[in-house]
Parts: sequence; structure tokens; C-alpha cells
Amino acid sequence: MTAIVRGSGGNPANAADEGVCLALGTMGSAESTIASACRTETTFTANGRPVRVELDPRESLLDVLRERLGLTGTKKGCDHGQCGACTVHLNGRRIVSCLTPAVQVNGQAVTTIEGVADADGTLHPLQEAFIDNDALQCGYCTPGQVMSGLACIAEGHAGSDDEIREYLSGNLCRCGAYAGILAAVRETARRLNSPVSEG
Amino acid sequence: MSTPTRRVDAREKVTGAARYGADRTSPDLAHAVFAVSTIGKGRVVNVDTAAAEAVPGVLTVVTRIDPAELGSPGFLMGGGYGFQSLQPLTDDRIAYRGQPIALVVADTLVAATEAANLVRADYEPEPIATDLDDEGAETLVQEEAIPLPFLADIVVGDADAAFVKSPVRIEASFDLPRQHQVPMELIGGVVEWRGDTLVVHEGTQNAGALRGGLARQLGMDLAKIEVIAPYTGGGFGQKNSLQPHVGPLALAARRLGRPIKFVMPRTQTFHQASFRPASRHRVRLGADETGRMLAAVHEVDQQTSRHDLFPSMSTEITSRLYGIGDFRGRQRLVRTDVQTPGFMRAPFEHPAAFAFESAVDELAYAVGQDPVSLRLANDTDVDPVTGQPFSSRHLAECLRRGADMFGWAGRTHEPRSMRAADGSRIGWGVAAGVYPASLAPAVARVTATSEGKVTVGVDGHEMGQGIRTAITLLISEDLSIEVGDVTVYVGDTRVAPQHLTAGSWGTATALQAVHAALRELRKHLNVADSDPVDLGAAVAATGQTSVEVEATTIAPGQPPEIIEHSRAGLVSFAGPVYPGFVAFSFIAHFVEVRIEPTTRRIRVPRVVSVADCGRVASPVTAASQLRGAVVWGIGASLREESEVDPRFGGFANATLEEYPIPVNADIGEIEVGFVDEPDPMLNPVGVKGLGEVAMVGVAAAIANAVFHATGRRQRRLPIRIEDVL
Repeated sequence: MTAIVRGSGGNPANAADEGVCLALGTMGSAESTIASACRTETTFTANGRPVRVELDPRESLLDVLRERLGLTGTKKGCDHGQCGACTVHLNGRRIVSCLTPAVQVNGQAVTTIEGVADADGTLHPLQEAFIDNDALQCGYCTPGQVMSGLACIAEGHAGSDDEIREYLSGNLCRCGAYAGILAAVRETARRLNSPVSEG
Repeated sequence: MSTPTRRVDAREKVTGAARYGADRTSPDLAHAVFAVSTIGKGRVVNVDTAAAEAVPGVLTVVTRIDPAELGSPGFLMGGGYGFQSLQPLTDDRIAYRGQPIALVVADTLVAATEAANLVRADYEPEPIATDLDDEGAETLVQEEAIPLPFLADIVVGDADAAFVKSPVRIEASFDLPRQHQVPMELIGGVVEWRGDTLVVHEGTQNAGALRGGLARQLGMDLAKIEVIAPYTGGGFGQKNSLQPHVGPLALAARRLGRPIKFVMPRTQTFHQASFRPASRHRVRLGADETGRMLAAVHEVDQQTSRHDLFPSMSTEITSRLYGIGDFRGRQRLVRTDVQTPGFMRAPFEHPAAFAFESAVDELAYAVGQDPVSLRLANDTDVDPVTGQPFSSRHLAECLRRGADMFGWAGRTHEPRSMRAADGSRIGWGVAAGVYPASLAPAVARVTATSEGKVTVGVDGHEMGQGIRTAITLLISEDLSIEVGDVTVYVGDTRVAPQHLTAGSWGTATALQAVHAALRELRKHLNVADSDPVDLGAAVAATGQTSVEVEATTIAPGQPPEIIEHSRAGLVSFAGPVYPGFVAFSFIAHFVEVRIEPTTRRIRVPRVVSVADCGRVASPVTAASQLRGAVVWGIGASLREESEVDPRFGGFANATLEEYPIPVNADIGEIEVGFVDEPDPMLNPVGVKGLGEVAMVGVAAAIANAVFHATGRRQRRLPIRIEDVL
């Protein structure tokens, strides 16, 4: 099934600065369909579910996930790619969704924290390990930490404590839950003993 | 019975299901962005909004609000609700760089952002002073500027005379930088009107002040305002009060008839929220040849704003660290052109302990004593300031146990005497910490059902410290029910007044109230206090399907009417001096630093910290909180400094890239321990505070370790490579 989500906003009839919009619109990928001066239709899958979004080409994937698709588990901590709270997977690889124009993921597969556990609610082993090792406090950076932790293991970068620390250092945790995060990723990597495949 | 092994809201947090303030969405949501001042001080002459208003989707651009429509919230520390008294947009004055000059509301975030970038203003700039020593900075003696007893300088005996007479004298001055709390959750949320009720969803440590402050600003009845904050994505003092964006958003939402979402851009959080002010600490320490401390003088200069006096309470702890007979504190405030600085984890105690415990280490070396032994020899059972007993004081046990866990006995005393196989210099350092054990009024309402389930609503905010888990464990253990049968509501003005959760009083305050409510419940159910209870059966025996009880608790010595003060959203805590006793939490930190031979980079591979926080209410979350505070100490000592360009004001490195907080690769092993001795004199649950004491002394332990590694004393934070070349 395809969910069609439309933004509440924008009034193309009143597009006094079309030039600006068109210029910025060129930031979109070649596959983007320019629906109007300021609106672009983009389709992708979010956690396996096809979505079609009509959007302003300046909208980040992060804002589209949160504001259009209701996938608010992905967090905004800086909007500048400096904190990692917005980490999601694009075709199984981690990206910071705040620096990714949503039009750029056209035709691709996005996985967010909401897509990590099984449909029946069974948690992924890394999520279990985060709970077991109390690898979180306020919880705000946690979705990004989990997405980066999954990627760290899948990339084969969980071979030693130092390696895990390095490959998780793009994800800030101001509560300082780093010891627990390290333990959770280490434990899960050992348990899975092979790269995690992303759906 | 479940064992207290897990954080009760962890599942919501690892699945992304936990809903923070800005996670609210609705189809008619509008988005807000502020345009901000580009001068450091002066007057706005004109704001040009034409280009902004022409952006498609823009609904309104607000540049001025009548003060009659939106008054000052008052300053948190001056009987008010705001992090500062100044309410931007209500006149033409610019007090600091980054002060909002226009509020843009639009259909979409991109439109609001674009429009805010197009707002242009003409200013009449004025000269600025941004630092303690700047021309134009105005220095005030705190006790004269704010004549309140708890802010008066602490003076015991004649410390200056005793210092001069002391055979061994240490004297040093320490400089500490401006720092920012930077919780990962950005300031903001959703403001909406439901009929004539104003509803605010925003991560906060003080839902009560948001409600009380908005009521004052907007001239509304408290009952018509609801603040809902079940999860706060980190606070650390930044979210301890009403922020100036909420009032304007409430007015705009009412006028537009739409809910408004506002998420403050990260850079603006450095300018539109409080921060840890720059401070200078001058310490003089007199002792005899054995290291017995005889006199201490601790003088503090601390930055504040022009419009508010943010007080220092630095000497409250340095006068209590040891049994020093003669002590003199002096605290001065330096007015500069900034937003009002404020509370950031261990706001005064971290800087004060860095200075004081560095001097104590220097004393140990001056008299040839082991730094742990010297501290143990200067311990005290009696508060030197009031002469009253400590409700509990296990600092010596923290030091002994920590030394044992760390392997302190293997340390060689001489600086530069320990070296690693790779050529790194090794330094081992120790420092102690102390923090007031305060309490605040709280209301707990407990509902128990005949199915054996319990729901509680209580004062408190969950910001990662684990208050929800601690409350759940208390109820689960008291009533012998499963953790999963307990539901806790905190951070919600619909269930309790929601007094400020800060100053490490949150958990003890909430638990004391819940404990009292459980006593009421047992009375209601005819079950003796200590008896085991079959809750479901006991409720059913009343003939009802559920029983609801309520209890209100206050701090020892507080008048009962303080609860009304708290209900109004005003700060109402008490401590650390109570009738007949004083109460503090204690800690000892042991740190290993390694200084790499070629780069001279300072690493912290190993820390051991042992805390006395009374009974440990929630072992798993307490351990995490302590480890996290050590991470804070590492950041504060080796990384974090907010830079100012004196020509322009504001903060120059206001991003997470340029204001470097610790990352995973910065952190090594952190081993934590707890004395875990209940403090029944303070409250019936025996709990003191932990979150702040946990950071106090980390910086000094690191600096003392750097001295041990290099032979060089560190007088300023953060310690940089150039300080150990």
C-alpha cells in the first residue's frame, strides 16, 4: 500500500520568489519529479512501507520523516550533521538524515529506529543489549546510537573496544552513557558473530 | 518480585516510542523560527520584515509585543520564573548578541527558516563588555547587591589572621571558562490552545515554572495552563525555568488559531539559554607542618548579566569539605553584556572544587603527605560553619574504598615518576567533592486497583537521571508488586504542581512524597506499615475497585504554606542547613591520565568514583548517572570552553562541532561505587542527591593527575596541550 502524505503548507499561487525555489530545487537528484515551482514528488520506502511525499526540495529527510511521516523516533540534535541523533539507514548504510535532502532518497530504502524491532514487537538484540547495559539515560540520542551501533557491527567495525569507540564517536551522548553503549555494541557483535543484514 | 536491573522506560527509548516535546505532530501545525540580533548591545531602530513576509507560507512576522500583553516572567532567582527577567520583543533594547528581534511563523519549517533569514534590522550599537576583566564590566559585592541570608559570605573565625600565622601557606588563583549545558534535545516543543486552555509540550525540568510564568506573563489563571513533559531529553540546568520563546508562541498560536512547533536551532541555544558563567577563584590555604588545615580564604568573581544578578554559592561547599576552623568566603558578581548565566550541572561546586581541591593537593605536596592521607586527616564530623552535625558524612569511606578500588597504594608520590611502556607520562590524581542535600515540597497522588496495579502522579521530571525508575522501585518493593504493575506520571502539571527538578533534590523529593502516600494508602487499606500486603485483595476488601490517596511532603523545617509557593511554580527548596543538622552528599574521584609522548595529548583511560548519596534508590540508573557525571568532568576539564570575540559579543564557537563535548573515543574505563548508607535524618527513604555531587571534584582529580604526570600545576580549565608541553 502506498501512503500519500501532503504537507499542510505552502501556497504555490503566492510564490513571489519562484526564482529562489527553482534554484534550490536543482539540489534534488536527477530522479526527482518537479511537480511545481516549489514542490517535488519523491517516493521511497520507510521501514519497508512505500511512501510518496510532495515536498519542498529544501526539506531534509529528517524533517520529512518527523513532520510528514510521523516517524518521530529519529531526533534532531543539531541539524548540522554534528551530533548523530538523526542517524538512519539508507539502503542499509548509516547516514545523517538532517544533511540529506529528502528528494535525494527517491527510489531508495530508508530504515529508521521504528523499523528495527520485529513487527510483533520483539526487540533487535542490540536494542535488548542497550537495555541490559543501561546504555542510555535521557534517551534522546538513543535512536541514533542504535542505528549507528547496527551499522558499526554491519560494517565490521566492532572488532575491538577502541574500534567501536571510534566508529560510534559521530554520535554524541551528553548524558555520557558511552560505557554502556560500548558494552551493548560489543556484546551484540559477539552474539551475532556475523554482520547484521539490514532489511 | 522483579529485581532492579532495568530502567523502566528503556524500551520506549530504544524503540523511538518515547515522545519528547517536539515529537508532537498535527495536521494544522505551524512552525516558528526567531531572527536574532547581530549586535552585542544597543537599540533596534528598525526591523525590515517585508522580504520575510513575502515568503510563501509565512503567516506572521512579529517584531514587537506590547508589555501589557506579555509581561516579564521575572528572574528564577528573584522570585520569578524565567531563566532571565528580560523578555525579548517587548522593547527596543538589545542586551546581548543573539537576542530575538523577530518571530516568524509559517506553514512549513523551510518557509519560516527562509523568512527569518530575510529579516533585516538597523541598530544603534553600544560598546560591550563580555569578560571579567573587560573595560565596562561592573563588579558588585554579592552580599551587598543581594541582601539575602543564604547568599551572604560565609565567615567563620578570622581566616586572614589564621592564614598569616600558618607555617605552611598555599595561595593560587584559578580561571574557569564559560560553558554550555548542550543537552541533546533542542529547546522547544509545541504550544497549542484547546479552547481557552493553553497546552505546552516541551522538555523541561520545571513544568511548574512554565505554567506559573506563563500565567504571570499572559495574565492567566493557573488552571487554564497545562504543561506536559513526560520525557526531557537532558536538562543539566538549561531547562530549569521558563524560556522567553514560549510566551510569544502562545500569543501567536492564539492569534493564528493553530498549534505552533518551535525547535530552537542549536546555535541559538548557546545564546537564548543560560550557561555556566566565567569565574575566577582565589584560594588561600594555611596549615601546620603535618598538613592539618588551619585557615582557608576562598574569593570568587563570577560573571552575570546587566539585567539580572545570578548569584554564586561557591563557598557553601568549600567551607564544608574539611574541618577548617577559620574560613572566609567572598563572592563578587561581574556584570557583562550577555544573557543571564545560570545553572549548569554542579554550577558553582564544579569550579569551586577544582580550585579548592587543586590547592589541597598542592598542600599535600608542600608538606610531603600522600593526598589521600592528608584528606582523611582533615575530615570532620561537625559542620564547621554551623556547628551542627552532618545528617550523614561518609567522605572518608569514599576515599578509602576508592583508593582500594583504584590501587592507589601502587602510586609513587613524586611527580613525573610514573611512565608507561609507550613513553606516555602517567599521572594519578585524587579529589573530593561535596554537594548540598536539598529537598523540595512535593505532592504524590497514588491510585491502587483491585487488580493490584498502582498509578502515581508526583512532582518530578524524567530527564535521564532515572526518577521514574526510582519511584517505580520504591512502590514495587513497598507493596510487593511487579515493576510492570506500576505506572508513574511525572513532568505533568495535570497530576502535581511540578516543582523544579534540579540541585540533586529531585529523586529524594519525589520518593519522600510517594513514601508518605504509600503510608496513607496502607492506612486506608488497614494494613500496618511494615506488614506484607496482597494489594489487589486489600483494595477489593474496601468494596471499591480502586483507592486513591494523596500526600504532601516538605523539607524539614519548612512551613506548611511553602506548598502554595510551589503550586505557584516558584522555587521552594530548602537545605542544606536544616533545624538541628546539615545535609550533604560526598564523593571521591581517582583519575589516571596519560600524556602521550609526542603529541602531549592528555587522555583519561581510567577513573574510579565512590559516592555517598545516602541509600541508592535505583542502583542501575545511579551507576549510569555517576559515570555520566565523570564524562562531564572530563569534558569540563579537557574540552569545553565557549569563546567570545570582544568586538562582537555572543559566543563564537556555538555549534556542536566547535564546542567539543566528549565523544565515545574520549572515554575509557569508569568504575563506580556507592557507600549506600541510608540517611534517615534527612528523610524517611534515606536518600540524598547524586547527579551533581557526581561531577564535583572530577576536574581537580584530573588536574592533580596532570600535575603528578608533569610536575606542572594547572590554574585554568580546560587544560590544553600547550599547558603540558
